[in-house]
Amino acid sequence: MKKQVSLAMATVMALSLAACGGSPSSSSAAAADSGAAATDSTGSDATGEAASWGDVTLTMWGAEEDQTMLREMADAFIAENADKGNITINIGACSEADAKDNILTDPTAAADVFAFADDQLNELVAAGALQEVSLNADDVKSRNLEGSVEAASLDGKLYAYPMTADNGYFLYYDSSVISAEDAQTVDGILAAAAAAGRTFDMTLNDGWYIYSFFAGAGLEATLADDGVNTVCNWNEAPGADVAQAVMDIASNSAFVSAPDADIVSGITNGTVCAAVSGTWNAQVAQETWGENYAATKLPTYTMNGEQVQMGSFAGYKLVGVNPHSANVGVAMMLADYITNEANQQKRFEDRQLGPSNINVNASEAVQAAPAIAALAAQSDFSDLQRVGANYWDPAASLGQILASGDTQGKTTQQLVDDAVAGITAAVAQ
Amino acid sequence: MAEMTLTAPLRADGREPGFLQRFGHAFVHGDVFTKLSFFIWGLGYIGHGQLIKAVLVTLVQGLGLYYLGVAGIPNLMKFGTLGTVQMEMVFNPATFKNEVNDYDNSFAILLLSVIALVVIVALIAAAMAVVASNYQLQQIRQAGKKTNNFRQDIRVYLNEKFYVTLLTLPVLGVVVFTIVPLFILIAVAFTNYDQQHMPPNSLFTWVGLSNFFTLFGGGQSLSLTFGYAFGKVLVWTLVWAFFATFTNFFGGVFLAMFINDKKTKFPKLWRTLFVITIAVPQFVTLLLVRNFFGDNGIFNTMMSNIGVTDFLHNIGLLSPGVDHIPFLTSNGWAQVMIILINIWVGVPYQMLIATGVLMNIPGDMLEAARIDGANPVQMFFSIKLPYLLSVQGPALVTDFVKNINNFNVIYLLTQDVFVTTDQAMAASSAKEVDLLVTWLFRLTQEQYNYKMAAVIGIMVFIICAVFTVVCFRFINKKEATFS
Amino acid sequence: MTQAMSTDTRKQLRQGKVQRGVRSTIRHLILIALSVVWLVPIVWLVVTSFSGYRGINFTTFFPETYTLDNYINVLFHPDSVAQFPQWFANTFIVAVFNCVISTCFVLMVAYAFSCCRFKSRRLLQNLSVTVNLFPGVLAMIAVYFVLRYLNLTNSYAGLIMVYAGSSGLGYLICKGFFDTVPVSLREAAKLDGASEARIFFQVVIPMSRPILVYTIINSFMMPWTDFVMAKMILNSGVSADWTVAIGLYNMLSRTLVNNYFALFCAGGVLVSIPISVLFVIMQKFYVEGITSGADKG
Repeated sequence: MKKQVSLAMATVMALSLAACGGSPSSSSAAAADSGAAATDSTGSDATGEAASWGDVTLTMWGAEEDQTMLREMADAFIAENADKGNITINIGACSEADAKDNILTDPTAAADVFAFADDQLNELVAAGALQEVSLNADDVKSRNLEGSVEAASLDGKLYAYPMTADNGYFLYYDSSVISAEDAQTVDGILAAAAAAGRTFDMTLNDGWYIYSFFAGAGLEATLADDGVNTVCNWNEAPGADVAQAVMDIASNSAFVSAPDADIVSGITNGTVCAAVSGTWNAQVAQETWGENYAATKLPTYTMNGEQVQMGSFAGYKLVGVNPHSANVGVAMMLADYITNEANQQKRFEDRQLGPSNINVNASEAVQAAPAIAALAAQSDFSDLQRVGANYWDPAASLGQILASGDTQGKTTQQLVDDAVAGITAAVAQ
Repeated sequence: MAEMTLTAPLRADGREPGFLQRFGHAFVHGDVFTKLSFFIWGLGYIGHGQLIKAVLVTLVQGLGLYYLGVAGIPNLMKFGTLGTVQMEMVFNPATFKNEVNDYDNSFAILLLSVIALVVIVALIAAAMAVVASNYQLQQIRQAGKKTNNFRQDIRVYLNEKFYVTLLTLPVLGVVVFTIVPLFILIAVAFTNYDQQHMPPNSLFTWVGLSNFFTLFGGGQSLSLTFGYAFGKVLVWTLVWAFFATFTNFFGGVFLAMFINDKKTKFPKLWRTLFVITIAVPQFVTLLLVRNFFGDNGIFNTMMSNIGVTDFLHNIGLLSPGVDHIPFLTSNGWAQVMIILINIWVGVPYQMLIATGVLMNIPGDMLEAARIDGANPVQMFFSIKLPYLLSVQGPALVTDFVKNINNFNVIYLLTQDVFVTTDQAMAASSAKEVDLLVTWLFRLTQEQYNYKMAAVIGIMVFIICAVFTVVCFRFINKKEATFS
Repeated sequence: MTQAMSTDTRKQLRQGKVQRGVRSTIRHLILIALSVVWLVPIVWLVVTSFSGYRGINFTTFFPETYTLDNYINVLFHPDSVAQFPQWFANTFIVAVFNCVISTCFVLMVAYAFSCCRFKSRRLLQNLSVTVNLFPGVLAMIAVYFVLRYLNLTNSYAGLIMVYAGSSGLGYLICKGFFDTVPVSLREAAKLDGASEARIFFQVVIPMSRPILVYTIINSFMMPWTDFVMAKMILNSGVSADWTVAIGLYNMLSRTLVNNYFALFCAGGVLVSIPISVLFVIMQKFYVEGITSGADKG
């Protein structure tokens, strides 16, 4: 018995593995002596030196909602470069928010070109899943908003192509219930909402949103110098007061801490009259409230009797190129192409996505869009989103505690102390 | 021992020698072909007149050796360090491609080495078996009898050795898709494979037992270690497994007895109604139920419309600041709901099984008890329950283990919904409702902390193994005393 | 005296009848209550699949407007998110192959362990029990890389191999069933000169309809319900490559749920219909299979 089983085992293993045995190092690129042909890639501004690309197959990942638009862009790219090579582009669905999760499991199997949210940049770079932009880099830098270029860079190197500048959050409200003046303060919104028997919604149990209160009070949570861990001082003054202020807001009967899906349904069924969220939900609000839809920067909240302007994470969506791509050059050309001025314009027209391109952003149509105006107003109070992997769970936990109002017998100071201990814990335990 | 005669018809001297003994004996006493067959399998068979077999086994051996030569040995040489050459990538604008150095991929080295080890063990064992089989052939020929031709050999594999034919492919599948991955993951527990050391871009290496120390309280402050989270998650895992197993078992039994009672009309209709719920794929119902019981979900709306929410406020079960019942979002509520929903998911299935088992209870036993004047309750406790337990005891043990590893129910009900309020657990990305398996899954998917996930996985295995062994000991003893 | 007794008995009888009637009513009321509890989510699934509103309905159990659009969209208007017909075909292919291979494997292993006698039987059985104790999700990442080195990720062949490859471990119930096949039958066949292979195919298999049905249903359902493994292996991101489970799961992701919840329900119903039909028809065999297996398992 053993004999035959092991015989067969050996056969199949050998059959299947021998063929692809050996070091897999050559899987992604032409293996060459690294020293021989190495050129200084960092500063070079080469543009498509390779005359012919030959047969090129690329995979591009983008959000589900963008699929049709991406297909059109890809086809245009193929047509434009028909003389250089025979290009095939496959489009896959992967939302910007999930890009990191799908790529890091196995970067070598991920798409050649992918869209992602800028908070994932440092982890993607650390995992070697982002190609440094080495074609047209200066052009990319000059044509996009400063903040977006900063978001796409790490240690002075540009790692991605800015695509949109609208991935942050802001306030939108039903102006038939809330006046522009009320919308300046959380207290005003809550009072107006309570008077109308409706609610003001925001997701508190999420590190992304809870940040706004602490950042507004001048506290910080940002990436440490090692690029992996997080620095956070929420436990210093006035952190405990911020926590108390958030609890006060949460305990107001007109306030609801709800996830995105609930906010959307709340807007459609009329229970919600104001929400802090992003452009992805704003569209629903615009459709439901119609003329009464209004958007503005985040309000101020009351801490120790004083008004504090809420901060926020500035959010950008970026397009990255996978260094493991077999055709990394063409992939860069494609990424460059789909984020150029014309395509950012198309993005805005097709999907109302706020452009990061300076020219498109300055256009009248874009400036007139309420969501984009609100984000622009908020940009004075927003920071670049750079936190380590250990930020999210402890921050969400803190938000959940503050939202529920059940402090488990801890003081607010202890709460922020514990949160900071978790956030700043070394990633590699 | 009667079974042995089937496989070893040659030995007439009573006791069956072990595999090693047989090989040793064959190698020492074998002729030159037998001895040579250890190195080149085919030579022995050629010498003993079995040409087709010779070609086949040599082919197999060749493939095995080819794998070792091409991938196995080179990677095994790096097994000690798991690689030393870091990946370096440079873009070449002339070719439009990235140029990569000949780097080491720690995971590939680990994987291919483990496979190489399995292949080596298999090759050696097979070589020994080949020698033993050649010795048999040699003896047959020395005795002046004819050895089997190829057709006769095949017939043997359809008859006396049919089990070999049956087991080869399934065992191979299990080795490739279960055993090799398990070996790899066990090995990972002794490395520093985490987000800072992720192939192909970085290397990881052996770190000995340090991950296990981390799990058991190594670290600055106790609240921040994995140890704290591990303890809490473990307790809930066991509590969950206990309730999930027993609520389903008894729920199923009672439902089955209720439906199958003579006084119940249309038993088939009722049974079908419950069975329909099995037919909807679990992930569909679970995701659906998660939305059903959402904080602002339909069930909460109904509860608040009929005044239950207010009632809970009044009796103090809900804090006044909360305007909904946090079915799946708050510690305590969520655990109870998960167990209740699991009853919903599992009871129909158990009901089907219990129906079948109860029908198999010998009628005369029940009849005798009825004549003795036993009431239904007595009958249940003195006849039906012991019978059910004796039949389903082992199944209960396996169900318990399955529930410890019940990924779907917990993950689908709580992922993206439940946020922990235990800040010490949050620091280890654990939640109060996590089972060990969901925790380790999220550690790999969200934190890429494979080393700790592997350690937790080994712990799960140890817990399950101890539990299973103890239970089966107990069951076997019980059975022995009964019969 | 006799008169009194008879009225007494009659009274008792009548009382008994009434009591029995009441008890029977209560019994059936309980059953109705239980079935309602069990059917509420299913009903919600079905009615929501006909809902005119595409998101999650939070305020009313029954949708305000009914429409067939969700089914029409799901079946005839695939978009980049919902490619149900394609997924259905993919999953069906995987399910059929998995069903054939897994069923063979399970039957083979169960027969070998139940009816054949050989030296390493105990050892192999114990090993299989031990291996089953490891959490499967842990090995997943390693399985993925094994497939990568076999160049089988993003292929249905790879997915089928993963599903079917380890299926031999699930032989216990089937073995329990084979254990109940009378030894005398096999002995008689053997005396007639039948080989083990012939006994397996012509004596044991024909007697094993219940366990066959049980194994077939289980292995056929596997690809319809698993999304974790499938999602990991079919990672190209191209939604047309997915199985039903990945696709439906994806519809509930944060950005999509508000537009696709009703579609998700419609898809869920469509998947459930064939399985329900299969189940209700095969219920008898299924129960027989699992219980006879458990009896001696």
